[in-house]
Amino acid sequence: MTRKVLIRYSPQRSTDPIIASVIKETGLLLNILYAEFDAHGGEILIAIDAPDDEVDYVIELLKKKGVEVKEIKRAIQLDRDSCFDCGACLSLCPTHALHQTDDKTVELDENKCIYCELCVPACPVRALKLSKF
Amino acid sequence: MADTKVKKSVAEINERIRRGDAVVVTAEELVEIVQDKGEVQAAKEVDVVTTGTFGAMCSSGAWLNFGHSDPPIKMQRTWINDVEAYTGVAAVDAYIGATQLSETRGFDYGGGHVIEDIIRGKEFVVRATAYGTDCYPRKEIEVTVTKDDINQAILCNPRNAYQRYAAATNSRDETIYTYMGTLLPNYGNVTYSGAGSLSPLHKDCNYETIGIGTRIFLGGTQGYIFWEGTQHAPTKAMGTIMTIGNLKEMDARFIRGATVEKYGTTLYVGLGIPIPIINERVAKTAGASDEQIKANLTDYGVPRRDRPILREVTYAELKSGEVEINGKEVQVSSLSSLKRAREIANILKKWIEDKRFFPTEPVERLSTTQVFRPMKQVAAVPLVRDVMTREVVTAKPDDSIVSAAKTFSEGKFDHLPIVDVSGKLVGIVTSWDIAVAVGTGKKKLSEILTHDVVTVTDDEAVDAVARKLDRNEISGAPVLDAKGGLKGILTSDDLSKLLGRREK
Repeated sequence: MTRKVLIRYSPQRSTDPIIASVIKETGLLLNILYAEFDAHGGEILIAIDAPDDEVDYVIELLKKKGVEVKEIKRAIQLDRDSCFDCGACLSLCPTHALHQTDDKTVELDENKCIYCELCVPACPVRALKLSKF
Repeated sequence: MADTKVKKSVAEINERIRRGDAVVVTAEELVEIVQDKGEVQAAKEVDVVTTGTFGAMCSSGAWLNFGHSDPPIKMQRTWINDVEAYTGVAAVDAYIGATQLSETRGFDYGGGHVIEDIIRGKEFVVRATAYGTDCYPRKEIEVTVTKDDINQAILCNPRNAYQRYAAATNSRDETIYTYMGTLLPNYGNVTYSGAGSLSPLHKDCNYETIGIGTRIFLGGTQGYIFWEGTQHAPTKAMGTIMTIGNLKEMDARFIRGATVEKYGTTLYVGLGIPIPIINERVAKTAGASDEQIKANLTDYGVPRRDRPILREVTYAELKSGEVEINGKEVQVSSLSSLKRAREIANILKKWIEDKRFFPTEPVERLSTTQVFRPMKQVAAVPLVRDVMTREVVTAKPDDSIVSAAKTFSEGKFDHLPIVDVSGKLVGIVTSWDIAVAVGTGKKKLSEILTHDVVTVTDDEAVDAVARKLDRNEISGAPVLDAKGGLKGILTSDDLSKLLGRREK
């Protein structure tokens, strides 16, 4: 199962090759979904598709290397009772996490979501919500 | 109109429905039948085609009658759940419009939401004030009621079911929020509305069967067309209808209050029209495919009445989810729900098959020649070129801060555009930037200039530019020509002078 981890860098750690070294040490594919840095440090969102114990190990390893690590559990929720499948959200989604099935039902693929939140206010009936984590 | 090979009356079709041997198909199904067999054969085989659409229809609202209180009141101003309703009619009649915003909740709740809540049977608060008369002495009232407590609740929409609509995109370098939804910068996405091959009015675009008195599916119940819609423009394939139906019988699955981000509230209306196939001409229009129905891909980045059209796109392209703009595939959003439009067409089909719904012949035909004219304006809105300052002092990035300070002190302006040797704009420095730079040890303008300059073009309307200045919290913007050359500057001073002139 794919799990997602948000890594926060302090300015001191910003130039360390932390993700590269974790990839090298574990041999796992860490997929960077999104990264942003400025003078105050930065954050990278990674997706790890591996058995739970291996993901746990990656999280431990990242922590040891001096970055703040937070696992992200289910962030954007699509309320199927409210959604009427217009698709206003679709063209705003940068990763196609929001998509329509063949019968034009709107679906959210949480594994692809990078939490940009562009879709949330664009939904005419507020069917997309950011859940707390 | 030319003679046709097939001639069926609505009465004959209804007789077949009563006998249980009418052939009813949805408009999507008819597309295939016409493609396979041609319109003449389709007209012989098919009796009724059902259509459907479920989209945002701002020109919607409901008439409510509350009954009289004791002592009675002649409502002068009325609010329902803090959304103002129009009561400039008799004492206790009010019209709640879909786009009116709540006075306490803003964009989150408006007339459209009130209408949905009424359908859902929720309690709503009616508050009214009045000046008091001898016959209506009461001056204020506040009651909580449901739809069962009021006399009438009638959905009455002045403009519904546009035959087709423009597809929207945005050339600007900033995200804009329009009634066509959120439009990303630099043609970042496309939005559209309408059901294409299911679109009710497009399927009888000669208005042979759809007219005044036509019985329709409206919000989950039977409703009627009672006039042409406002802005009805059939010659441009932009026909519209006025619709009416009993709100109390409607289903909130097909009538939803909604918010368009940073634009306002609206009402999603589910609407379907049965088209009796009286001849092959109607079969042909009702059988039009998504490839044959087109929309103008329009640049909403230009906030003018006549927005530039990039090209025509077909509903087939729009429904595919991607449209090509300047060689790039751009993601598309539909603002109306095709899935629910299909559901409506299928429900209407079932109603007719179950002999619960009979198509009608129009009492009067709708106009096929009506045109939609622009507003007659006494004075045109001034453009940037009418009010901008043309003699603009500029500086080079290598110029010193001290020399710029001198320039400001000699002139009566606060914005100094910075241009390179070729005269191209590279940044801007304001008198405030100079004041801040004093004492920092910085020497050259290149060290303090703002690179990311908000610019305008000379053919933009001043109203739009005033919004731009306000949104960016700035007091001036350089005016550029199409090639990026500096033509002048527009400042809040120029706008103030314009207002001064207007008041004279």
